[in-house]
Amino acid sequence: MPLLASAIRLTVPILLAALGGVFSERGGVVNIALEGMMITGTFFGALGAYQHGPLAGALYATLGGAGLALIHAVVTVTFGVDQIIAGVALNLLAAGVTRFLTIQIFGVATQSPGVSGFVPFNIPGLDRVQALAPLVTGISPLVPVTLLLVLLGQWVLRRTAFGLRLRAVGENPRASETLGINVYRMRYTGVLLSGALAGLAGAYLVLEQAHSYLEGMTQGLGFIALAAVIFGNWWPAGALGAAVLFGFFEAVSLRVVASTIPYQVIQSLPYVVTILVLAGFVRRATPPAADGIPYRRGGEE
Amino acid sequence: MRSRGRLLLLQAAAPIVAVFAGGVIASAIILAIHENPLSVFGLMATFNMQAGSVASILTSATPLIFAGVATAIGFQVNVFNIGIEGQYYIGAFAASLAAFGLRGFPAPIHLVLIITAAMLGGLLWVWLPAFLRRRRGAHEVITTIMMNYIAFNVVLYLLGLVRDRNLGSTVRIRTPLFPPSAQMPHLAPLLNALGAPIPGYSPLNWFLVIALALAIVVWFWLRRSRFGYEARATALNPLAAEAAGIVVGRVQFVMFLVSGAVAGCVGLSDLLGRAGYFDIDFPKGLGFLGISVALLARNDPLGVIPAALLFGYLNRGAEGIQAFTNVPREVITILEALIIMAIVVAYEIMTRYVRVLRKQEVA
Repeated sequence: MPLLASAIRLTVPILLAALGGVFSERGGVVNIALEGMMITGTFFGALGAYQHGPLAGALYATLGGAGLALIHAVVTVTFGVDQIIAGVALNLLAAGVTRFLTIQIFGVATQSPGVSGFVPFNIPGLDRVQALAPLVTGISPLVPVTLLLVLLGQWVLRRTAFGLRLRAVGENPRASETLGINVYRMRYTGVLLSGALAGLAGAYLVLEQAHSYLEGMTQGLGFIALAAVIFGNWWPAGALGAAVLFGFFEAVSLRVVASTIPYQVIQSLPYVVTILVLAGFVRRATPPAADGIPYRRGGEE
Repeated sequence: MRSRGRLLLLQAAAPIVAVFAGGVIASAIILAIHENPLSVFGLMATFNMQAGSVASILTSATPLIFAGVATAIGFQVNVFNIGIEGQYYIGAFAASLAAFGLRGFPAPIHLVLIITAAMLGGLLWVWLPAFLRRRRGAHEVITTIMMNYIAFNVVLYLLGLVRDRNLGSTVRIRTPLFPPSAQMPHLAPLLNALGAPIPGYSPLNWFLVIALALAIVVWFWLRRSRFGYEARATALNPLAAEAAGIVVGRVQFVMFLVSGAVAGCVGLSDLLGRAGYFDIDFPKGLGFLGISVALLARNDPLGVIPAALLFGYLNRGAEGIQAFTNVPREVITILEALIIMAIVVAYEIMTRYVRVLRKQEVA
């Protein structure tokens, strides 16, 4: 039970960022700066929570992540720069900017003062069962929020006009444009959503896990989220499955210190699994057809 | 061809414009925290003129030249090897094994063996993404990123196996010390004899010379050899190259492997010129800086040299700013990222502008 509870806690940030990745890539923009956006989210999450409490923390983090995403969108969509390169530069920028701001605002380079998170809740009724205690008590409200966001995301992508347009833009932007869809606007929306969600993932780390901002606290989770996007076959529901699996790996790796399997092996599993998926050994990876390809509006050079 | 002349002019101007644009934004940031950007950059310039700074700039440029050349080799033929990071980690670890594991060799032979081990390590780590790209169509950006993280875990695990057990449990985990035959000779004695006032403590070593030679050799290889011709044809137009009988996939596969082998050497200057052992604090992030260097150089192996020097200059300047002003050194990290953003946008606009010019000429 404690293992399962810890797996859920570790799943949430991966899942939020992966959900963001799905939106960005469904619109045709690869976002390897999820990590950087998450880092921005951790700083702004701490700042907001420090000044006005946890809700402001979540809000600041969302805006901070979206702010970095806006740069990604301007550079890759408007200017048509290679998305991988822009992502690499953004990750460097995020690391520099957060360190700079931490020094300016908190006086030290590597951490913020402690902040309090959301008030945890218990599931009424079940919280009396002793055996289930780790699972049904002290739950962060962000856990159900994340789950709702995933279900909402799945529905939006599958059923709504917006979702269909976003996917159309990611599959065939030229055809979408002839049908009257504003390709740039759709791609901007996808990228901004990814930044907002990755920022929220950062806020979760600050508000619900560490209770302060610590430099390097994302520890590559943004890249695990990228892996979850692929393993989840570019669908929110798939990303949910992948994130749960990866969260479980993480939880196990924290607990097998004494066992015969080195924890490094278990920590590597998400990456190994993703390579296997990409190589088609597990099942076919089918990214959106125009994923990663810059698009120029009709008649524009 | 009027457009050709303009293209050359723009190509030369774009990096300067990008550095300038980055500088303007960084100045705005410095102004925002109530400091004077002119005096900050002025201090950086005088600080970087000192002999100690020059040595430091050259030292930090050395791994960046390796990383930049490794990146450029891949990027030239549209192979996005984002895995330099993991490849050099594995390369450095393989080199350490050869460094403390092999004993009794004369220094030149031992060093050659170590460098070979580093290249094999990089090759080992790049082989899987290269193979999967060629045979299974797996996109190398994601596979190499994943390989980076696997590399860190693998090295951490193996380091635990070979760590120096004589240190006790209190000291940090590191490999046994390398023998003297595994130390790359420093350049300071030679440069002092030539009249350059490089301080004796500087870890600047012969890997700088090797890095410079490597950049030149790779440049010649791509310019003058048959394979280099095929690679450039692949870079310019893969479809046309394929039609002309060049096996584009094979060219990309070979360039991918070479990129990884060069990447294996990125950490050697630090490993053999400074530390003398491998530990868990071995520098990370050089691979990503290498990407920045290659972008600034437009994937030209020779251009990598000034680009790496610029980054070395900025890194040293950051230390000066940190020590002597109230501005945190992170301003320079931000500046570096901004330069990269500006340069890719500048190249993009430039390419588009030239295309428009060409169309007008035809019309």
